[in-house]
Amino acid sequence: MTMNLRHLPHYLMVLPFVALFAAFFLYPIVSGFYYSFHDWNAVTEPHFVGLANYERIVGSRDFSRAMWNLVTYVVITVPLGIAVAFGLALLVDSFSGFWSNLFRSVFFLPVVLPAFLAATIWRWMYAPNFGLVNMVLGWFGYPSVNFLNDTDTMLFSLIAVDIWVSAGFNMVILLAGLKNIPVDLYEAARLDGASRLQQVRHVTIPMLAPVLFFVMTYGLISALQVFDVPWLLTGSSFTNYGGRQNALLFPVMDMMGRAFGSVRFGQASAYGFILTALIIVVTAGMFGLRAMRSKP
Amino acid sequence: MTLAIEATGSRRSRWSSITAWDLCRWAMAICVTIVVVFPIWWMVNVVFTEPGTPVSINPRLYPTSFAAGWDKVAMIMRETGYLHAYYMSMAYALLTIAGVLLLGSMAAFEFALFEFPGKRPLFGLIMLSLMVPTAVTIIPTYLLTAELGWINTMQGLVAPGLASAFGLFLLVEFMKGLPKEMIEAARLDGARHFQIYWHVVLPLTRNAMVTLAILTFMKTWGNFIWPLIVLSNAEKYTVSQVVGLFNAPFSHQTVDVVMTANLLAAIPPLLFFLIFQRKIVEGIAMSGSKG
Amino acid sequence: MRSSAMLKSATVLLAFAASSARAADEPVTLEYWVYSDFAQGDALALQQTFISEFKEKHPNVTINISGRGDDDLTAGQIAGAASGTLPDVFMNGLAVGAQLVEVGALSNLYPLWMEMPEEYRAQFDADALKSCMPKPEELYCLPYTGFGEIMFRNLTVLEEAGIDTSQPPKTWDEWYGQMQAVQKAGKYAVPDQTQVFNSVASTYAIVGGIDGWGIDFAAMKTKIDPETYAKVLQLFVDMAPLNSGTSRNDQSTKDLFITNQLAFHVVGPWVNPTYEQAAKESGLKYDFVLVPGMKEGEHGGIKSYEIVGVAPGDHQKIAFEFAAYITEKNQMARWAKLLSRYNANAEAMADPDVAALPLIEKSVQAVKYAVDVMPPYFEGAYPNCYRSIVTDNAAMVADGDASPEEGAKELVEELNDCLAN
Repeated sequence: MTMNLRHLPHYLMVLPFVALFAAFFLYPIVSGFYYSFHDWNAVTEPHFVGLANYERIVGSRDFSRAMWNLVTYVVITVPLGIAVAFGLALLVDSFSGFWSNLFRSVFFLPVVLPAFLAATIWRWMYAPNFGLVNMVLGWFGYPSVNFLNDTDTMLFSLIAVDIWVSAGFNMVILLAGLKNIPVDLYEAARLDGASRLQQVRHVTIPMLAPVLFFVMTYGLISALQVFDVPWLLTGSSFTNYGGRQNALLFPVMDMMGRAFGSVRFGQASAYGFILTALIIVVTAGMFGLRAMRSKP
Repeated sequence: MTLAIEATGSRRSRWSSITAWDLCRWAMAICVTIVVVFPIWWMVNVVFTEPGTPVSINPRLYPTSFAAGWDKVAMIMRETGYLHAYYMSMAYALLTIAGVLLLGSMAAFEFALFEFPGKRPLFGLIMLSLMVPTAVTIIPTYLLTAELGWINTMQGLVAPGLASAFGLFLLVEFMKGLPKEMIEAARLDGARHFQIYWHVVLPLTRNAMVTLAILTFMKTWGNFIWPLIVLSNAEKYTVSQVVGLFNAPFSHQTVDVVMTANLLAAIPPLLFFLIFQRKIVEGIAMSGSKG
Repeated sequence: MRSSAMLKSATVLLAFAASSARAADEPVTLEYWVYSDFAQGDALALQQTFISEFKEKHPNVTINISGRGDDDLTAGQIAGAASGTLPDVFMNGLAVGAQLVEVGALSNLYPLWMEMPEEYRAQFDADALKSCMPKPEELYCLPYTGFGEIMFRNLTVLEEAGIDTSQPPKTWDEWYGQMQAVQKAGKYAVPDQTQVFNSVASTYAIVGGIDGWGIDFAAMKTKIDPETYAKVLQLFVDMAPLNSGTSRNDQSTKDLFITNQLAFHVVGPWVNPTYEQAAKESGLKYDFVLVPGMKEGEHGGIKSYEIVGVAPGDHQKIAFEFAAYITEKNQMARWAKLLSRYNANAEAMADPDVAALPLIEKSVQAVKYAVDVMPPYFEGAYPNCYRSIVTDNAAMVADGDASPEEGAKELVEELNDCLAN
């Protein structure tokens, strides 16, 4: 009893958060899990179907397409995005004072725009013939490319938008990491005759490892849940999504379509848990890698 | 750093000390600036141009008709209740920020600085929820909100987003770095538990709170799916919903009108950024380096 | 004192009288959801006129109108059905009717319908009404506005390509010849018809008849016949080098048309206001004609209707009365005149003022030939895989990854596979 009373203030302080968390996250997750084993249209009584929802999803051609797209997308966009952000951070860091602050703010600008806005702008930038990108290509004599409707270019068009949107965010975080690296480490390296590139390789990157880890893990988790940008770029609706030959179909899009387009909420929940499992495995893998590397 | 040393070392004029590296980094910085800024600038030009002029004649590189743009703005304001949507989105964002900061900081205070039975499993559970895509929980959350009678209400819009696992994570990471001695000192001075939180820890956490407020603002302003299903009454639409009417694939509007609706949605976050840019950028920098 | 006591008892009496009167006299608020373009500008003003006219007869009723994009209509109705917060009267497309019945957003209105006078019931176009009636004595909606596809022609582009625009093309061959001439003149002939389900359906309609499209829900098999469909796929191959690369629904397609870059736009009449405005502002020269078929005298094009649905529940009766009011001849004629939009009220379409509107005149003809987009309605829901298989297949063949014959065979197999699961 005395134990409980001693801890009471702690519980009271976390109570509001935990109560709302339980109501609006835990309960929905648990009930979603329950529905994932049922045929359910959100209105009539759920009907138990065992693993049928999971089997159906894994066996569907849209699932394999979405997963394949997701893997290709994540494998390219996460490392490339971080490389670009890192480059930008080094670039900004090479300036000082006013210019450094100015470029930092400017490069960050796209981050503050709502995602739907960035997607809409780029949808027009990419438009065949009169979109800005094609206009510029036209000045150099290239024929118009149908970026968002040619299966060879669609994924890369998405990745470009993605990097445009998120590079500033990662850059700012990496930049802060750069500023925390003690200057004498560079001086020591220079005295050893290290070139600028070697300094980056042997001083900057190892010192930045914890920040890089954060940026990468956060980037992976959000990339695996990619939804609004490809949805808007392809002009998707609940009944027609994914773009030409489903080249920009991703799991969350397929899940939303099954939920609101075909009214299969049981299947959509099952889809969500497959994706959740994937995210957990990937994140655990990242932490595992870090643990291995930190051991000598 | 290196540059400064070289420059002072040499007594020649500034221009001759410009190296190839200087040229290169300026060129790169300017190129990136163009890539970043131009799409936004282009959107403004599409709005402020007479509609129907072919791109081959007017490539929308600069605004050509202020009146045309203003007409579109006036038309959208007249026909969609955009001003009220601004109000709804602002209220949604501000209430969410207030709630996330308060609940998050109270919980983070405990999770970061004290030990109590059940702390670890509870925190682990909350962190695990970061990995569940929102699409999984949206329907059960919606049904619960409906059960509470909160459809078409502000509390229905705001409450489900208050227990932010990401916010908790950010604040816990930050508070872990606070000096424990200060809390001990306050306790010896006779401060009660809540007073320590309010008078000692909260002021020290200001930077992290600002970051979280900014991130929350950006997230709620752009949030699309939740307002869409919880606010079905057109008189309660948020900005993202009103813009959605124009962005819909079957919307019967022309490009310039669609862009106008989008531009109007971008103005508050852009203003917000211009005013608070230092705080925003520094706050986000801090959140990452704590991780 | 006395007078106040009297007043009191009078009030009590009045209250009693009111409570024993018909329940319909209690204040009722109806939520009314329409397409976003029906809740803007002139269209909204006319809808509000209808509402206030209805309120004159039913002073106890308040009606809140709200506009939503196509997707939001469906998502909102499904979510509303799940939580018991459905709008009372709402619009949507026929194609999602089966889903809405499945989730209980639409119920059988037949008894209420039969209570209406014969004179009202006879006003509707028989085919349109049949779309809402999967079986006799089952009626799930009232058909509202609709479309039969027509072909918008940019006359400036066609003249530049040296085409005589006085007569529309009569057959596919003639039309295709014009498309090639347009391409030689450096312009785009058509939008990319492989991109959305409706434009694939529309291309099918050039070749095939009304019986070879859609799903046989009893057998869970597609009605598409591979031999006919191979000819459809050939059209996509033919059009591949001539198209603008934008889908028919893209705003950029309309921009290309307005700026004299695109010759033909086969679509519903809803793009006309945009084109009409461009004609006024920037001198766009265009007209609209029936979509050619393979042979002279035949025509392509698809058709569909928007529907007015009424949610089950306490307000169903009064909500149905409102739905019946807005779909009645007088209102439908005013609506048609304002928007130049064809609708399912045949008597309103026959009104001389309405019938004289060129867009409606063409639409009435087009509907006669057109193929339904997703038939049969209210018998079953099209699974998502069905639509994506159809568009992907068309894109695949147009890209040259398979021959039309292979493509058609594969399509039927994949569709039946999708339906079986």
